[in-house]
Amino acid sequence: MDLHNEVIERYLRDELRVVNKSLPIKRRPLNELIKEDTPYVLTRDGGIHVFRKSEIMLAYELLGDELASKLYLPIILEVRTDIESSTVLVVNDEVAAELIAKILGVNDYSLPMYIYPIQLKVLRRRIGTLIHYAFTIKLT
Amino acid sequence: MSQQILRIARPTKIELIRLRRRLRIAKRLHKVLKDRLIILTQELISLIRDAIELREEVNEYVGKCYDSLIKVLMISRFEDVLSYANSRFLRSEVVIGSRVVAGTRVPLIDLRRELRKTEFGSFVNTSLIMSSECFDELLSRVARLAEVEESVIKLGNEVARVKRRVNALENILIPRIENTIKFLEMKFEEREREDKMRLKKVKELLARRK
Repeated sequence: MDLHNEVIERYLRDELRVVNKSLPIKRRPLNELIKEDTPYVLTRDGGIHVFRKSEIMLAYELLGDELASKLYLPIILEVRTDIESSTVLVVNDEVAAELIAKILGVNDYSLPMYIYPIQLKVLRRRIGTLIHYAFTIKLT
Repeated sequence: MSQQILRIARPTKIELIRLRRRLRIAKRLHKVLKDRLIILTQELISLIRDAIELREEVNEYVGKCYDSLIKVLMISRFEDVLSYANSRFLRSEVVIGSRVVAGTRVPLIDLRRELRKTEFGSFVNTSLIMSSECFDELLSRVARLAEVEESVIKLGNEVARVKRRVNALENILIPRIENTIKFLEMKFEEREREDKMRLKKVKELLARRK
């Protein structure tokens, strides 16, 4: 029985590695990606994450030339697992927050920007390939 | 919910501390997996909705496009229609890649086409143009439907996998650890009471001897 439990625990602990294994190795700026035919980034598990060209164009149109060099893609949405009551996603990047605010039609926002699952639906529809989830765990 | 307790070698305080640590890890892990499950489920539901909508649209377009093609073939030669269809686009390609949704790799199919701007011959008529535009729409929807349906299958499998783990934590591991902690605490309380009683008896015995 004890060995069985140990195995279950080890198995479950490996799950934590699985959830973040597909994060990008290096994020790339929007103005660089827009020039490419097939924009993509490499991920930590050795694969690639391809961005939809139409979504890249939409982000470029919404942000303009100046901010495009400051937006690094994919936008990382941190899933705050330390908040017990509900699922909350956080954006810490200023330019990314501006883009998300424009898409969601939010005028007042501050950093960190909190996104709730209900708002995710809109983001997923319009910039689904530009966002990426990262699960953060508070160690203390 | 499991009523069993974990088998422990010795009911000691060290074991209790270790178990409390295990419980903390298990609860944290449970929250991570539950959040992932929520995100995956939401993604899955929205993809299923998209798939239903797209399938309806594709069915509708198939009927519409083939009707218009039959009308075109009534007034144009088959060779003319074929040559127009072959030379309509300057560039037409399908980009197949993958994207990641909460740790799950799903396919991404992007259809890219560039229309030829040059004038075609006199055989091109309005119904031929309308029919080809209808087929363009159909093709882009078919590509999107392929992407969405494959994503639904992959996400569905992942949701089932994560759900099994969440249930294992929620109904087996966490309750077992909690039950064991409760058992150990009761054991220690009992031992304390026994010690108190023993000390009392010893005290009484010493007092009687005096």
